[in-house]
Amino acid sequence: MRHVLEGSHAVSEAVRLARAQVISAYPITPQTHIVEQLSEYCANGTLNARFLRVESEHSALAALIGAASSGVRTFTATSSQGLALMHELLHWASGARLPIVMAQVNRAMAPGWNIWADQTDSLAQRDTGWVQFYCENGQEVLDTTIQAFRLAEWVNLPVMVNLDAFFLSHTYEPVDVPDQKSVDSFLPPYKPRFQLDLANPCAFNQLAPPNIYMEMRHNIQMAMDEAFTFFEQMEEEFGTILGRRHGAVEAIRCDDAEVILITSGTVTSTSRQVVAKLREKGEKVGLLKIKLFRPFPLNLLRELTKPASKIAVIDRNFSFGASGIFAQEVKAALCNFPGHPPVYGYVAGLGGRDITTEVIEDIYWLTKNSTAPENESSWVGLREVDHAVGQS
Amino acid sequence: MVEIRFHGRGGQGTVMATILLAKAFFRDGYYVQSFPLFGVERRGAPVEAYLRLDQSEILIRTNVYTPDHVVVLDQTLLESIDVTVGLKKGGWILLNRPSLPANLDSFSDYSLAVVDATHIALKNSLGTRTQPIVNTAVMGSLARVLGIPSMAAISEAIREEIPRQPKANIKAAETAYQKVKLVGEIEKNMQI
Amino acid sequence: MAAQQTPTNRTPLLIPCSYLTTEGNKTGSWRFLRPRYEEKTSPCSAACPAGEDIGRVEMLTAQGSFKEAWETVMMENPFPGVCGRVCYHPCEQQCNRKEFDEPVAIHSLERFLADTASRYELQLSLQKLESKKQKIAIVGSGPSGLAAGYFLTLLGYQADIFEALPEPGGVLRWGIPLYRLPLSILNREIAQIRELGVQIHCGKSISQEFWRGGKSEYDAIFLGCGHSRSVPLKISGEDLAGVKDGLQFLADIRRGEVSALDGTAAVIGGGNTAVDTARSAARFGAKVILIYRRRRQDMPAFAEEVEMALEEGVELWELQTPVNIAAQDGDFVVTLQHMHVIGKDGQRKARVKPDSNKKKKIRVQHLFKAVGTEASETWYEPPKKTRGMLRLSNCVLLHKSREPTLVYGGDLVADIKSVAHAVASGKQAAIALDILFHEGLDAVRPRLQSCLVAEGPSISWETYIGGPRSLRNQRVVRYSDLNTDYFQFAPMMIQPRLLPEERFQSFAEINLKIGASLAIREAERCFNCGLCNQCDNCQLFCPEIAVTRDNNPRGRHINYDYCKGCGLCVVECPRNAMILEEELLCDTS
Repeated sequence: MRHVLEGSHAVSEAVRLARAQVISAYPITPQTHIVEQLSEYCANGTLNARFLRVESEHSALAALIGAASSGVRTFTATSSQGLALMHELLHWASGARLPIVMAQVNRAMAPGWNIWADQTDSLAQRDTGWVQFYCENGQEVLDTTIQAFRLAEWVNLPVMVNLDAFFLSHTYEPVDVPDQKSVDSFLPPYKPRFQLDLANPCAFNQLAPPNIYMEMRHNIQMAMDEAFTFFEQMEEEFGTILGRRHGAVEAIRCDDAEVILITSGTVTSTSRQVVAKLREKGEKVGLLKIKLFRPFPLNLLRELTKPASKIAVIDRNFSFGASGIFAQEVKAALCNFPGHPPVYGYVAGLGGRDITTEVIEDIYWLTKNSTAPENESSWVGLREVDHAVGQS
Repeated sequence: MVEIRFHGRGGQGTVMATILLAKAFFRDGYYVQSFPLFGVERRGAPVEAYLRLDQSEILIRTNVYTPDHVVVLDQTLLESIDVTVGLKKGGWILLNRPSLPANLDSFSDYSLAVVDATHIALKNSLGTRTQPIVNTAVMGSLARVLGIPSMAAISEAIREEIPRQPKANIKAAETAYQKVKLVGEIEKNMQI
Repeated sequence: MAAQQTPTNRTPLLIPCSYLTTEGNKTGSWRFLRPRYEEKTSPCSAACPAGEDIGRVEMLTAQGSFKEAWETVMMENPFPGVCGRVCYHPCEQQCNRKEFDEPVAIHSLERFLADTASRYELQLSLQKLESKKQKIAIVGSGPSGLAAGYFLTLLGYQADIFEALPEPGGVLRWGIPLYRLPLSILNREIAQIRELGVQIHCGKSISQEFWRGGKSEYDAIFLGCGHSRSVPLKISGEDLAGVKDGLQFLADIRRGEVSALDGTAAVIGGGNTAVDTARSAARFGAKVILIYRRRRQDMPAFAEEVEMALEEGVELWELQTPVNIAAQDGDFVVTLQHMHVIGKDGQRKARVKPDSNKKKKIRVQHLFKAVGTEASETWYEPPKKTRGMLRLSNCVLLHKSREPTLVYGGDLVADIKSVAHAVASGKQAAIALDILFHEGLDAVRPRLQSCLVAEGPSISWETYIGGPRSLRNQRVVRYSDLNTDYFQFAPMMIQPRLLPEERFQSFAEINLKIGASLAIREAERCFNCGLCNQCDNCQLFCPEIAVTRDNNPRGRHINYDYCKGCGLCVVECPRNAMILEEELLCDTS
C-alpha cells in the first residue's frame, strides 16, 4: 500500500518488515529519524527486536558485531562523523563476515561544520569490505534495505545502504510499503552459517598469520564477486514478488547517446527530468545511474557506455589530491579498453549545495562543447569568496 | 507541477502543515513531495518548507526557487523576510493576519488572501497565546484559496496524523476555510 | 648553501572562522525541559521526631562551621547534648548512605556539636519574636515541658515552668544513669533555656485547682508530667518489703542514697529502665540477672544498651516471667515460668505463652521491677473525646472558652516515649498555641500541616517561622535519586568508648568525646540528600555555560536564554538538589 513517507521512515519500515532482531545506534543528524521510529517500534512491540542504546557509534557497531556473531539479524544507522568513528569496526564487521545492515545518510564531513548532503563520508569507507548501495528515492531506499539483509546473509558481508541527507532522508513522498507476507516470502528468517553457540563452544577472529591471512582476504573478494551475481538473481526474485527492480546500474536512453551522464543518489532523479527535456530538444544524451558501488559493476559499465563518445560523471564527493571518486572508478573501469570514450569529471553539490536542473544542464553543455577533458575534475558553480582568514 | 513555499517560525507547525497537506493531496490523487528547508531547526527561528504536487511522478529533488504560491504563517516575518522572492506573477500569497496589510505595494504582482489563523487557533485551544499552533487553520484556508485539496482529505489527514486534539484541529481547518478572505489580484492604488 | 626562496604566490587559506560572540545564539529557545534548583528533604530529617535539619547540619559540620551547625540543631531541638547521648537515633536507620556503605554517625555528630558549643561556651543567637501578651504555665520540667517553654519563649510568650521536685529535668535528671548522661550536660542545656527567659519554679507541685474556676492568670497550661509510677507485675509478693522499683532505684542513686549491693540482683523487664537499672546495680557490685518474658530481639530497650549491659556482665534470661515472689531469710525466691514463642504480633515482637508447667526458682538478694511506667495521677492524661479537643501527632489540645487551654504533652500522650518525641511534643504544643492565639482553633491543623518535615509527623520550627527551609520541597530523597558516582566508600566512624572493665568501675560517661577532625571526616560522608552544598557540578557540566554564580541565596542561577534543557546539571547533581520539568509550551486548558 502506498503512503506518504519520509525517506528516513522508508528505512525504518524496511527494517520492521525485515524483522531485524537487534538494533543499535547512536543519534546523529540527519539519521536520527530512522532510529527514532525504530526505537518506538521496539518499545511498542510493533517490532520484536532488542534496541541497544550505546554511548557512541563505535559502540553501536561493536554491539552489533557481538549480536551478529550470535546469529541474529542486525541493523544500525549513522551518518558522516558517526560513520568515521565506526571506521575500525567497519573493517572488523566485514573481516568477521558478519551480515550487518547499515543505513548511512550521506552528510558532509567537518570542519566546516555541515549537516547537509555529501557522499564523501561513505566513499571514504570504500575499502572496508562493505557492500555499498546509493539510492535515488524513498521507494528505492525501502526496497534496497530489505534486499540488503538477503544479500548480506547470503554472501556473509555487511551492507551499507546510502541515502542523501535531507534531499532524501527528510523528504516526504509516496512510497509503496509491501505487506509482511510478501517480504517474509522474499526474506526468510536468518540462518547463520556460523555462530557463537554454547553447545558447541569456539572462538572467532583470532590470530591469522601470513600463511592464511591472504587467503582470507581473497575469500572476501570472492564474496564480493558473488555479491554481484547474487544481487541480480535476488532482484529477479524481488521483482517477481513485489513487482519492482532497480538494478545495480540503470541505463536511461544510453543506447544512442553521444554524451552519457553518470550519477548516483538523488541527483539521478533530477537528471532524469533534465535528460527528458534535452531529448525533447533533440540532444543525444543518456543517463547512467550507478546504484551498486561495491562491488563495482565494471562489466556493466563497460558495456553500457560503449555507444557514447563522451562520459560526464557528476560527483557529490571528492578525494583530495585526486578527483571525484565515481569519476576515478569509472576511469579505472574503462582504462584497459582501448578507444573508450573520454571521461569528464564534475564536482558539484558538496556540503548540500543544490544540484539544480540548471547545474546538470550546464554540465551537459560543457561536456558536449568540449573537445577533450581539460583536467581531472571541474568544480561546478564555485563562487568568488573572500579568503580573509589568517595571516597572508 | 505546483510548488508552494511556506514561511513560519519554529514551533508553529510549519513543517507539519506541509506534510499534512502532502498527505491530503495524495489522498486526492496527486503525486506529492514535501520537505523543509534543510537547516538547524529550532523554536522561534524562521522556518521554510515546501510542497510540490503534480499529476505525474515528481522527479526533481532540489529546493523550490520559483514557487507558484506562498503561505505565511507568521505575519512578523514580513518585516524581516521578502516572502515574494521568486514567486511567480499572479501567484497567491496567503497571509495569517487579522486584517489586510496597510501597504499593499509590495504585493501588487500577486493575488492576496488573508486569514486570522491565530484567532481561529486560539478559539479552538490550539497552543498558547504566545505560541498558537496555526498550521491546521492555515491548511483549511489554503484549500479554499486553491480549490484543492478537498476538505474531506484534509480532515482525514489530520485525523490520521495528529494524535492530540484532532477534533479541534479539524474545526480550525473548517472555520478557516469559511473565514479566509480572498482579495484576489491587487491593483495599483486599490482602495480597501 | 643557497638561501631559501619564499614563493611569492602562496595559496590563500579558507577555513571557518568567526570573530562574533556566540551570545547571539540564544540556545535557550531550543528548550523542552527546564532544570531548576529545588532543595528536597533528607530522609534522616524526615525520620527525626524533632525534625532536625540533619542534612544541613552535617553540611555545616563538614565545612567546619560548628556554631552554625549547632544553632541549626538548636532551631529544632534545645537538647543536642542530651539527644546526642540518649536519643535512639531513628535518623541513622533511614540514612540513604546505608544503601551505599554504612549510615552517617548522626548521633555522635550531634553530641560533638553540643560538646563543642559547651567547650567554647557558644551563646545562642536565635532571635526571639516580638513579645506577645499571652502567658503559658507548664507543669513538669521534663524534656517536653522544657521544650515547650523554649519554643514558646522564642515565639515571644511568657512561659513559667512548675516542677514538683527540687531540681528541673524530670526523667533526664532522675531516670537516666550518669554513665549515659552526665549532669553537667543536662545542666548546661537547662541553663540555656533559663537564659532565654523561661522561668522554672522548682519544688512547686500543681493540682487541678490551679486553673479551675477561671482564676488562672494563664492563657494556656501545658501538662508534661510524664510517667513516674511503675506498672505493677500483678503477682503475689511484688509488694514485699525490699522489692524495689527500677525507676525509683535510679532516682535514689542520683540522690546518693544507694550503697554497695552484695549478692545477686534480679531485674524484671526489657525496657530501657530495666537495662539502666541492671547496669547501675552491676556498678554497685551486684551480680545482675535481667529477666525478660520475650527474646532479646524483642526487647524495647535500645539494642546498643543491651549489648553493653551484656559486655558489663549482666546476664540475660530470655523467655522467663515471674509468677511468684517469696521472702526467705532476707532474700527473695522468685518463681519463673518458662515462655515459648507462638507467633508474632503486628510488628516484629514475638507473641509468647507459658510453656506448660516448666518453672524454676531463683534466689536473689535484690529484686527490681521495671516492666513499664504510667502517669502518677489520672488527671495528667487527656480525657476521652470531648468538645474543643484536638488530637495532634505529639500532643492533645483541649480548648475551653472560660478556662485556660490545656495541652497534654510528652510521655502522657506519646506512643513512642523518647526524648526526641518529648521535644517534638513541646514544639508542636508551642506552635499550636501560637496558631490558636492568632488564628483560632480551626487554623491549627492546616497550619501545622504546612510546616511538616516531609509527610510528617515531625514539624519544622524553621519552616513555621518562615526561614530558608520553608522554601524546601517536602519530597523525601530516595537513594536512587542520588548520583553516587561522586561519593567514595568510607566506613562509618567508630564511637570511642570506655572498655567494659573501665565502665564497671564507675558511673563515668561511657561514650567518649570525638575530635573536630574525626567529626568533619564523618560529616563529609553525609550525602546531604536534597541539599545544595555548592559543589558546582551544575556549573562545571553545563555545556552552554548557562549556570552562573551570583549573590543570591542559592549561590548561582541558570540563564534560561542559553539553557537548552539538556538536563546534564540535574543528572550530575550528586545530591538531587535540582529537578527537570517539562517546559510548558502548549496550554490546552
